[in-house]
Amino acid sequence: CRCRALLSRPAGALRARRGLAAGPEMHFGFQTVTEEERREKIYQVFETVAKKYDVMNDSMTLGIHRVWKDILMHKMNPCPGTLLLDVAGGTGDIAFRFINYVRSVRQRQLQRKLKHHQNLSWQEIFESYQKDKFNSLGDSQVVVCDINREMLKVGKQKAQHLGYSEGLSWVLGNAEELPFDDEKFDVYTIAFGIRNVTRIDLALQEAYRVLKPGGRFLCLEFSHVSNPLLSRLYDLYSFQVIPVLGEVIAGDWKSYQYLVESIRQFPPQEELKAMIEDAGFFKVDYENLNFGIVAIHSGFKL
Amino acid sequence: SGSGSGSARAQPLEPSLLRFLVCPLSKRPLRYEEATNELINEELGIAYPIIDGIPNMVPEAARRTHKKPPAEGSEQP
Repeated sequence: CRCRALLSRPAGALRARRGLAAGPEMHFGFQTVTEEERREKIYQVFETVAKKYDVMNDSMTLGIHRVWKDILMHKMNPCPGTLLLDVAGGTGDIAFRFINYVRSVRQRQLQRKLKHHQNLSWQEIFESYQKDKFNSLGDSQVVVCDINREMLKVGKQKAQHLGYSEGLSWVLGNAEELPFDDEKFDVYTIAFGIRNVTRIDLALQEAYRVLKPGGRFLCLEFSHVSNPLLSRLYDLYSFQVIPVLGEVIAGDWKSYQYLVESIRQFPPQEELKAMIEDAGFFKVDYENLNFGIVAIHSGFKL
Repeated sequence: SGSGSGSARAQPLEPSLLRFLVCPLSKRPLRYEEATNELINEELGIAYPIIDGIPNMVPEAARRTHKKPPAEGSEQP
């Protein structure tokens, strides 16, 4: 029968080996909790908000999160044949954008190819359409990995509803302990997810492991606003408006309180850059969006 | 338990996933067992369930598989 934690993993020894020197106390938003409590609480947050996640994103960011994600995709600029691992990708926003992007790149590729074959017969043109019809993504693939079952459920339903099936798969897994083989993926993304990972260093190490040499790490996350006036306005909006929206729209003040607090607790741009470098990535850089409300960090495995 | 009865309506695993998936603990390959709709790590003797077509690849969700004689693959309680 299935029991939790069946395997006798010596948790203490594991943590010591992983260098969890900072003691058992961690932050959950502005609260102090143990590592285990933090994981549990975060799981519960997303379990609760899963069904309203997209609606809340639109309300809180006035739809701007869509632009941020579009920018991420343009920065990635994937070509057909790319293998993407989208971690903490629950409801599929990045995955769907990826599929749309490679599909349109592929379309243009095919059109250019056809234009060059000026002397083909109708029969030949027809056959080339048939052949490529079954490869509209050019062998591109995206694997969405998330630790939360409810978020994945929502994502899968969205995919069905929007007609995404080809080149897309879903895995329940932990960013700190990925169930993927070494050097398999061309790109690794984590959008608005790394903030909720308890051991960011482990997640970055795992990201490095699963990427092919030459592969790219991309992280889209809330970050720090340095401009003092903007920072005040942002704080005001975050602490006064967002939890209220959370209560009104999702019936859940506490989860959104956690959200705004966790943003404040998350390392700022330079610190995250250093952590990414520590994991072995090269050419680590970041781009601020909206004055640092959000930042995209990028690194390469060489 | 009772996972065996659920496999009637269980969605199949996306075949391309088997190229990438490994055990999160040992990072070693897995075997897909169609009868129980699980991914088996023979070395560690554990099985990860596939629920609604989504493989559940966290160690907490795995169950021990017992060494059984090569007769029927009956579900262990």
